[in-house]
Amino acid sequence: MVPSVRCPLFQGIHELSIAESIADSVRQHAALRGGRRVRRIGVRVGDTSGVNAEALDFCFAIVVRGTDLEGAALDLERVPVRFRCEACGHEFEPAEFDPRCPACGVERGRLSGGDELSLAYLELDDEEPGRPGETTG
Amino acid sequence: MTERVPVRENVLKENDRVAAGLRAAFGGRGIFCVNLISSPGAGKTSILEGTLEALRGSSVRAAVLTGDIQTERDADRLRRHGFPALQITTGGTCHLDAAMVRRALDSLPLDGIDVLFIENVGNLVCPASYDLGEDVKVVVLSVTEGDDKPLKYPGIFRRAGLMLLHKMDLLPHARFDPAAAVADARRVQPDLEVVETSCYGAPGLGAWIAWVQRRLEAKRAAEPHAQP
Ligand SMILES: Nc1nc2c(ncn2[C@@H]2O[C@H](COP(=O)(O)OP(=O)(O)O)[C@@H](O)[C@H]2O)c(=O)[nH]1
Ligand SMILES: [Mg+2]
Ligand SMILES: [Zn+2]
Repeated sequence: MVPSVRCPLFQGIHELSIAESIADSVRQHAALRGGRRVRRIGVRVGDTSGVNAEALDFCFAIVVRGTDLEGAALDLERVPVRFRCEACGHEFEPAEFDPRCPACGVERGRLSGGDELSLAYLELDDEEPGRPGETTG
Repeated sequence: MTERVPVRENVLKENDRVAAGLRAAFGGRGIFCVNLISSPGAGKTSILEGTLEALRGSSVRAAVLTGDIQTERDADRLRRHGFPALQITTGGTCHLDAAMVRRALDSLPLDGIDVLFIENVGNLVCPASYDLGEDVKVVVLSVTEGDDKPLKYPGIFRRAGLMLLHKMDLLPHARFDPAAAVADARRVQPDLEVVETSCYGAPGLGAWIAWVQRRLEAKRAAEPHAQP
């Protein structure tokens, strides 16, 4: 089971800041590549990153509305919590952070994945944009 | 046609960059910085009030930055204890970020400070994502919140170096199993240290204050060139 993580104060406010950070980074990368139009943005969201993917999706749409990034699809990939057994090296997805290794039975699983919150890829148009206005819609 | 460009970078890299600058500023002055995180009402401000009061008679010079969504109340409480305290009002944002701390430090000179406490906005989720340049995140879990919280909010327990099990004076009245809370928290963070505290009665704040002093001394020993 994945613990659900939500902003206990104002649902979504935290994801709003995260969405703004994503939009800023994406614009920097697109600018470095001739300002080509961004079609798709891949983001990896770890289960212990504290970010709710649904809320992030919602906030991203708000943040880019009316901007150059409007219409770009956000591809959110969930990264599950992973443990690595310190006894035998086996990697597994624990239930509720249970450290018992399914391979050797020893309780020495340590977190090895699921923390990340990263920009993974961009999909850009091959063509450089024409006059302003031409590429919207 | 489109082209896919791999990127692979932390979404919060800009925050991390500012935080790295803060960490260098703290390190250069030998300042030990604590980022205190809990849900609202767990007792962060009370713990800091008791801590400042205790440090008043020692050689340790403290300062506090305290985050709140709206009010200046926590800074007002904290300023009564002989050390500088500055409020950061976030105006709706449910966490502090590194840029807010950097701006606040324009009004809080770092010279002559040994320990900087940052009281984060009361919230167990969002503050976990933001590095503030601290040496350690300390999570406060009070016994009235339930021992199931470490697995419900793994992100903050994962990133904490110390957990304060707080309001221990209320343990007889709360159905809270400290051993279970500690075991669950260590499933998420095996290296987590734990100290039991109370502002009103045993076990008091002594063990926590001694922990801060030890960590300050350890930092000074590791960075001997830092100016005292
Ligand atoms: N019984 C008891 N109450 C406490 C303790 N520490 C704080 N409180 C109370 O908890 C409430 C919230 O405390 P506060 O310090 O404002 O929490 P914050 O929101 O985390 O800063 C106040 O009514 C405090 O008096 C404690 O150790 N024991
Ligand atoms: Mg407070
Ligand atoms: Zn194993």
